[in-house]
Amino acid sequence: MNEWEIAATVLGFALVPCTAGALLSAPRHGLAAIQVAAILLSTILVLLAEGFHRQPFIDLAVVFAPMSLVGTLMFARLMEQDL
Amino acid sequence: MSWRAVVAVVLLIAGGLLEVIAVLGICVMRDAYDRLHYPGLAGFGAFLICLGVLIRESFSLVGDKALLVGLILVFTGPILVQTSLRSLLIRELGDWRIKARERSEQ
Repeated sequence: MNEWEIAATVLGFALVPCTAGALLSAPRHGLAAIQVAAILLSTILVLLAEGFHRQPFIDLAVVFAPMSLVGTLMFARLMEQDL
Repeated sequence: MSWRAVVAVVLLIAGGLLEVIAVLGICVMRDAYDRLHYPGLAGFGAFLICLGVLIRESFSLVGDKALLVGLILVFTGPILVQTSLRSLLIRELGDWRIKARERSEQ
């Protein structure tokens, strides 16, 4: 196990409280948890690509990073209208 | 161990620590406004990690994409926080633009 895989594992464990916070707390409290979870997931994909020397993981990160921005903006917009 | 590998590991550790601190902040803070300080910190941590990948791989296909991901995350963080704060304020206090228009009409 190299250093990149270890870091991916640590960040994978760090993803658990963020996901729990996003799922279980009220929407206004879960918004920040969703944002941090999206950043963590993008970073994990980059780390997996580097650790396993598999390029498709970093392609996923390139797609996921802007999509998470769009998703969070949509969530914030819906939350603003009390939906 | 080459200097590139050493710098990459240092950046990896620094970025990972920043992201773990951001997660701890999300867990510890109780108010939604306090929690919104931490996505920016996590984005900067992700940028450091992507910079570490870039230094290790140089400007290759993987290195370029890692730089792209890091830049996206570090530049979209403030946009997300600003939008989220605006949405939270409108949800709690109503749209201030409508109130200002009504006041000017009176």
